[in-house]
Amino acid sequence: MIQQSNNWVPLFPEKASSFAWQVDALYFYLIAISAFFTVIVVAAIFYFAIKYREKEKFQNGAEIHGSLLLETTWTAIPFLLSMTIFLGGAIVYYNQYRPPKDAMEIYVVGKQWMWKFQHPTGQREINELHVPVNRRIKLIMTSEDVIHDLYVPAFRTKADAVPGRYTTLWFEATKPGKYHLYCAEYCGLNHSGMIGWVYVMEQKDYENWLAGNVSSQTPAQAGRELFEAKLGCASCHQQTDQGRGPKLAGLFGKQVKLTNGQTVVADEEYIRNSILNPQGQIVEGYQPIMPTFKGQVTEEQLVALVEYIKSLGNETASMSK
Amino acid sequence: MEKVEVRAEQTKPNYLNNGYSVWSWLFTKDHKRIAIMYLISISVIFLIGGIYAAGIRLELLTPQSDLFETGTYNKVFTHHGIIMVFLFLIPAIPAVLGNFLIPIMIGARDLAFPRINLLSLYIYWLGSAIILWALLQGGVDTGWTFYTPYSTTFSNTYVVATGLGIFINGFSSILTGLNFIVTIHTMRAPGMTWFRLPLFVWAHYATSLVMILGTPVVAITILLVALERIARIGIFDPTIGGDPILFQHLFWFYSHPAVYIMILPSMGVISELISNFSRKRIFGYEFIAFSSIAIAVFGFLVWGHHMFVSGQSIYAGLVFSILTMIVAVPSAIKVFNWTATLYKGQVSYDTPMLYALGFIGLFLIGGLTGLFLGAMGMNVHLTDTYFVVAHFHYVMVGGTVLGYLGGLHYWWPKMTGKLYSEFWGKISAMLVFIGFNLTFFPQFILGYMGMPRRYAAYPPELQVLNIFSTAGASVLGVGLLLPVIYLVHSLVWGKKAPDNPWLLPGLEWRTSSPPPTENFEQTPVVTWEAYDFSDENGLDVEKVKKELATV
Amino acid sequence: MADTHKTHHVKGLQHQFDDMQQQQESATIGMWMFLVQEIMFFGGLFTAYLVYRSRYPMAFAAGSNHLDAFWGGLNTLVLIVSSLTMALTVYYAQKSNRAMQVVMILLTMFFGLVFLGVKVIEYSDKYNHGLIPVTGWNKKTSKQVVALPFETKAEAKETHDSHKEKPYVNPNGDFQWNYGGEDLVMLAKEKGWLTEAEKIGYFDPITKEFDPKRFENKVRIFYWLYFAMTGLHALHMVVGIIIMTWLLWKAWQGSFSAEYYSPVEISGLYWHFVDIVWIFLFPLLYLLGRHFLH
Repeated sequence: MIQQSNNWVPLFPEKASSFAWQVDALYFYLIAISAFFTVIVVAAIFYFAIKYREKEKFQNGAEIHGSLLLETTWTAIPFLLSMTIFLGGAIVYYNQYRPPKDAMEIYVVGKQWMWKFQHPTGQREINELHVPVNRRIKLIMTSEDVIHDLYVPAFRTKADAVPGRYTTLWFEATKPGKYHLYCAEYCGLNHSGMIGWVYVMEQKDYENWLAGNVSSQTPAQAGRELFEAKLGCASCHQQTDQGRGPKLAGLFGKQVKLTNGQTVVADEEYIRNSILNPQGQIVEGYQPIMPTFKGQVTEEQLVALVEYIKSLGNETASMSK
Repeated sequence: MEKVEVRAEQTKPNYLNNGYSVWSWLFTKDHKRIAIMYLISISVIFLIGGIYAAGIRLELLTPQSDLFETGTYNKVFTHHGIIMVFLFLIPAIPAVLGNFLIPIMIGARDLAFPRINLLSLYIYWLGSAIILWALLQGGVDTGWTFYTPYSTTFSNTYVVATGLGIFINGFSSILTGLNFIVTIHTMRAPGMTWFRLPLFVWAHYATSLVMILGTPVVAITILLVALERIARIGIFDPTIGGDPILFQHLFWFYSHPAVYIMILPSMGVISELISNFSRKRIFGYEFIAFSSIAIAVFGFLVWGHHMFVSGQSIYAGLVFSILTMIVAVPSAIKVFNWTATLYKGQVSYDTPMLYALGFIGLFLIGGLTGLFLGAMGMNVHLTDTYFVVAHFHYVMVGGTVLGYLGGLHYWWPKMTGKLYSEFWGKISAMLVFIGFNLTFFPQFILGYMGMPRRYAAYPPELQVLNIFSTAGASVLGVGLLLPVIYLVHSLVWGKKAPDNPWLLPGLEWRTSSPPPTENFEQTPVVTWEAYDFSDENGLDVEKVKKELATV
Repeated sequence: MADTHKTHHVKGLQHQFDDMQQQQESATIGMWMFLVQEIMFFGGLFTAYLVYRSRYPMAFAAGSNHLDAFWGGLNTLVLIVSSLTMALTVYYAQKSNRAMQVVMILLTMFFGLVFLGVKVIEYSDKYNHGLIPVTGWNKKTSKQVVALPFETKAEAKETHDSHKEKPYVNPNGDFQWNYGGEDLVMLAKEKGWLTEAEKIGYFDPITKEFDPKRFENKVRIFYWLYFAMTGLHALHMVVGIIIMTWLLWKAWQGSFSAEYYSPVEISGLYWHFVDIVWIFLFPLLYLLGRHFLH
């Protein structure tokens, strides 16, 4: 699936951020220390165990109480080594968690069970994050419900997304490619489905992507995708009248009764206004709970949404025939 | 079991043949009988927790969530964690081995408060029953860590009932700790000074301190979670002004020291085993004793290392990281002292010793990988991955369970008066060691590859390592089931154990097997230091040798 | 065998102990250990208090100013006197004075009950004013009624805008905060006292206006801490009174004497501990925050 999968037994993850090598270096340093102590202790155990194995039943061992010199040595050496580990860990942590000033900021909202990203230019994505290579990216994260944690192993970094506060995470991707994105803090039912991909792209590709050139969908298809997945409209506007928001199938072109007593025709302008300023036109019988999408959808996306809702009208019309 | 005791020509009164009715067990104040009831309860609990573990490993055999729905899988790992941590690991060694042996090792007739000891067993039963009831009703899916606001606001499972069970169980642990501390302070036999105490007792003293200081905090925390769920008081719920991170602080303030509740008693067992099976004084007695206390004290100051990625300030992180490094040092001291004890010893390889040597190897890896997680920069990559899972299983299973099994085998002849099959004992010790490494070593690699924990489904390229792990788990499972068979078998068909099967100097080997209800026929007077194998310490060597020759 | 059995004849000595001194020492250390765990138990709540009080001092001040320091102070006095009578109980037990023991235990119980009685008055007042932070546990009324005067208020010493007190309407028995706080917050804002958490916590994120609902949520945290801490403390008082009842019965029988009084002594330790917890609760809940008014 991704590059390392040609190894039969994967031993090491890909490395694709500016500080990944530091984490790896620390890792190898720690492995070296661990191997050193493990070899010493295991070798000593085997040597003693064989050399001093019981020669005669109930023979007693030598009368040795201890040695202050040895105790001091094996207190001091692990202590000093652990301090080097601490320092190494602190330095790497500082690099991971101090976002540079000139970083491009992307907003991240964790929600059971999806990641929502918003680019500075307004594009929104879900469970996919497109970023340019060799550019410092700062993620400003929060959560709508429980604690989540955004984790990209190839970047060797992660941070919690905590409801009620903002946390940050930064990285600079060094290699174009497609990398795993996980939620690492257990968040309930579909925790293991709260995954996605980070696409690291060359600057030019990124700009093309931003401009929407990668899309080859019709506006109605794009609108459907926005409606059902990316914007999550479908969670309230369902196929039935049971949803928190009104049913939209067959709406286009019909008369709509509003809470203020007015009756309006559901045309393109009405749909557009309802998305951008929902509180202005509340349909009778519904609560004013819809958030505004002003600034969250581009004009292109608005068009796509309107087209999609129009197409819903046609479908039901054709079905009723 | 008791019937067989009658048939045997055993006429000597002991704690087992002192009454056979159910009441004589349920209303006993004898610490030994209470320990046996704990042993049975905890074994059943361990079996249930093990079945859940098997469920986890079977689900992870394939990358998709196909054996269980994700919701079911979430419950399975939560149940595994809650049962193993709160109902098995925390009480296992103190409540069974500690309960049985501490009074005998210090030359007392019983614990200071026998009724409180029995009460703590009933509390344990009540708490466990509530938890098991909650699991049967539909269970809980928050993970054993109960992180808010998921546990308080979003989970639709039996969080309150489970929390209540854990809350109640906490008091069992507190009362046991209290009892041990008082007993060790006031009940030591004449001549049994602090520095003549076996290290097993020192380890339990340190453990008891942690139990008393830590458990109440988690109790109140769990209570707050329940209140938040029932009444929405707003302490952990950010939508009404609360702070979910406060929960993590309160929770880990206990639950990190709780790790030491699990490992310290095991270290005490290992000190006993290494010294006695080397037939030699322990190397650096004072250093091992005080390193237990140091671990207990520093263990309270490192809880923040669970929260390096939760938005904690860098400076707080630095303090927690450096203290985490410091708490590693006393553990290292213990490992070196155990190794040095073998030097110029007379090392024999009975089953308990195999467990002890296995413990040192696994605990070494568990401890060293703790340094990986304590180093902040490394922690950011590794936390909440399988690296953490592997690390704490190396400490909890490689450490606590091996120590528990080692101790159980070592004192089995004393506790039951029967000898188990040494052959099967060795086989099972080997299987546990091999199966364990095969299960959990691949998980270190999985963790570094970035596989998050608590995932029902994972990327397909990680399947090979997961297959290794599941294969290892089946070996481990066999290794852990074997002792159940041959130990139970020994109760009925085992040879009668001599009072001192290994000719050892500890007080517990100077009374009969099984011991009489009041532990000693006469209050012993101690004139020797712990692990003193010289012949002038009042042990009738010739008599013991003669007795051993008849076995 | 003989060695262990001869000790059984001493009155009150349990079989596991060699002598009375060992038994008494064990009981005392045991009680101290129990109290250590109690401190940690309350410690969790005190930590929560410290965290939120340092975050939202103004909301805590507003909430605190609605508790009546008179009743709190009275209860403090009552408990201090009960500590004295408890100490005297131990003294008379050591003197083997049965009559005075009984009198002192009765007095201690009386003061304990007075304390709980005052708590009942205070709690019911909170019930009448919608200050219990649990939905449905307050007085329910769907019609607008004039708010009851605070029974526990000797005089109005409330937040500055307390005169704006709204009538009490509460169909669901919700927690309500009708006693302002805006001018307190505005004053603090002017003087630069607001903490970082308060700058976000009290104001609407869009309009930047003071948001009473958000303020109410923070006061609510104060009130549930108030109920959790005083409730847990009151529970300990109830247990204390049960222990006293048992002690009274034993003292009546004349069980305690200069040779054997450790039950009195360790019950006393417990009683003093519960008093001391209150000595911390009183200033934290009733007094801290009053200085914002002056």
